[in-house]
Amino acid sequence: MTRVTALIGKELADLRQNPAVFVPAVITGFFAVLLPFFVAVIVPYMTGEHLSDSSDFQIAIEMYRNQPATRALDPEGAIQAWIFQQFVLLLVLTPVAGSMSVAAYTVIGEKQARTLEPLLATPITTLELLGAKVLASLLPAIGLATLCFALYIAGIVLFAHPGVAWALMTPRPLSIVFLLGPLSSLAALQLAVCVSSRVNDARSAQQIGALIILPIAGLLVAQLTGNVLLTGPTILLIALVLAGVNIALLRIGVALFDRESILTRWK
Amino acid sequence: MLIASHLTRTFGNRVAVEDLSFSLEPGQIFALLGPNGAGKTTTLRMLAGLIAPTSGSIRVNGEEMSKDTAPRLRSRIGFLTEAPGLWDRLTVRRNLSTYARLYGLPQPERTVDEALEMFGVRDRANDQAAQLSKGLKQRVALARTLLHKPDIVLLDEPTAGLDPESARDVRELVLRLRDERRAVLMSTHNLDEVERVADRVAVMRSRLVALDTPAALRSRLFGSRLIVVLRQPADAFVVAVSGPGISDIRAQGSTLSIDVDDAATRAPEIVRQLVAKGADVQSVMPDQPTLEQVYLRLVEEKKSA
Repeated sequence: MTRVTALIGKELADLRQNPAVFVPAVITGFFAVLLPFFVAVIVPYMTGEHLSDSSDFQIAIEMYRNQPATRALDPEGAIQAWIFQQFVLLLVLTPVAGSMSVAAYTVIGEKQARTLEPLLATPITTLELLGAKVLASLLPAIGLATLCFALYIAGIVLFAHPGVAWALMTPRPLSIVFLLGPLSSLAALQLAVCVSSRVNDARSAQQIGALIILPIAGLLVAQLTGNVLLTGPTILLIALVLAGVNIALLRIGVALFDRESILTRWK
Repeated sequence: MLIASHLTRTFGNRVAVEDLSFSLEPGQIFALLGPNGAGKTTTLRMLAGLIAPTSGSIRVNGEEMSKDTAPRLRSRIGFLTEAPGLWDRLTVRRNLSTYARLYGLPQPERTVDEALEMFGVRDRANDQAAQLSKGLKQRVALARTLLHKPDIVLLDEPTAGLDPESARDVRELVLRLRDERRAVLMSTHNLDEVERVADRVAVMRSRLVALDTPAALRSRLFGSRLIVVLRQPADAFVVAVSGPGISDIRAQGSTLSIDVDDAATRAPEIVRQLVAKGADVQSVMPDQPTLEQVYLRLVEEKKSA
C-alpha cells in the first residue's frame, strides 16, 4: 500500500507542476455545465417563449407532476427540472473525457521520458503500478466532476425557477454523478492505461481510451429521445455492469502489462 | 552473492545473450565490456529482475530469481539505468523521497537527507530535476540507486557522457562501494575507468569472450615482457641475455624487449647478465599493454572466430 500511495503522491505532484493537462477537462466541464442552461434558461429568455408553451415538453410536466420532489413546481419549473436532470449525464462525460489525456500518457509518457525503467527496477508489482496510475488520474477527475456539479447546482439556484435545484438533489441525479460518474471514469481510465501500456504513442492510447465515451453519449441521446429512462433500478444495473467491467479491466490490464516488451521493444 | 548460470536471452530470432555464466562477490567491482549490441544492457536487465532469461538462472544470495521472487529480490539490488530517468518536473527531494517510499524504507525523509548530503546535492534539493546538469542528474540517479543500501549494485554505463570531474566523482563512489563490501557490476565502454577500478573484467560479444582480472588478461594475451633501455645500441647485447624463462629477445635502437615468464624474478638476472657484458643499463620496466589493447585483441579474435 505504501508503494501505491508513494506513486499516487508522485503522480499528483507531477500533475500540479503541469496543470495544462487539465485544460481539456476544464473546457469539457465548462460546456457540460453551460449547455443545459443554454437550453433551459438562455434560449427561452432570448426568444421570449416559455418552455411550457411547447408541446414537446408535455411529457416532462406529466412525469414530474407525480414525483414528490417536483410536485410543487410550476410547469416551467418542471420542464427546467426535467432538462437539468437529463443533462446530468453530460457531467459524467466531463471527467472521463478530460482526464483521458492524463491516463493515456501515464505509461507511454514514463517510457518516453526514460523514467519507467528505474521505476520497474523497484519492488513495485504490476498491480500496484497500474492501480496507482489509475487512481492518480481518477482522483482529480472526481474532484473536477464534484466541482462541476457544485457549479451546476449553484447556477440552477441562481438562474432557474425556485425549487428546481431541490429536484436535482434526489437520489437519481446524485447517483448518476457520484456513482456512475466515478465508475465510468474508472473504466475509461483503466482502458486508457491498458492501451497506454500496449501502444507506442500517447495519441493512440487516448483515441482508443476515448471509446468509453460512446456508450455514455449513446445513453444520453437515448435518454433525451425518451427511449431509455434512467430509473433507480436502471442506474443500479448500469453501476453493477460498470463494476464488473472495472474488475475485468484491472485483470486484463495486469495481464497485458508486459514489462519486457515495454522495456525492450518500445523506442 | 549473485550467480548467473548459462544465461541466454533471445528476442525473436536474435540472440542477445548466449550462455553467460559468472559470479559476483561482495567487495568486488566487476566490469562488463563489449561493443555496442553485445548484450550488456540485456544482461544487466536480467540481473536486475526486469526481464527474464530465455534459459539459464540467476541466484541472489542463494535465492533463484523468478517471476514470483523478482519483486522481493529487486529490493536487494540497486540498478542505475543508462539514462538517469529522473522525473523532470519534480524536485530532487521529491524524486528521491518517492523512491525511498517505493522501497518501503522506514524513515524515508531522513534517508533522503542523508543521501542528499552524501552525494553533495543538498543545495539543489528543492530544484526541479530538469534544471540540473547532466553530471548532477547522474549523481542524483546514483543516490536513488543506493537509497535502499542494496548489497548488489548494477551500473549501466555510469560515466557515459560525463565531464572528467563528474566521471571521477562516480569512480570514487564506485570504489567507496567496494570498501563497503557491496558487489558492483558495471557495464562501460570506458577502458581507462575499468583499468582504474575493476577487480574482474568480462568481455562479451553475446557470449562471454573472456573473464579474468585485468592483469591476468594482459598476461594471457600478450605474455610478460621486459623493456630494458641501454645507453648504447642494443643489437650487440641480444646474445648476452639467456637462461630459463627468457626468450624472444628483440633489439631496437638502444632498447631490448625480452619475453619472460615472470618479470619480477627475471629482471635482476637479466640486468646482471647485461652489466657483465659491459652494458650501461639506464632503466628496466615491464611492458604492460593497455586494457584497450587487450580488449581490442579479444574482440578481434572473437570476430575472426
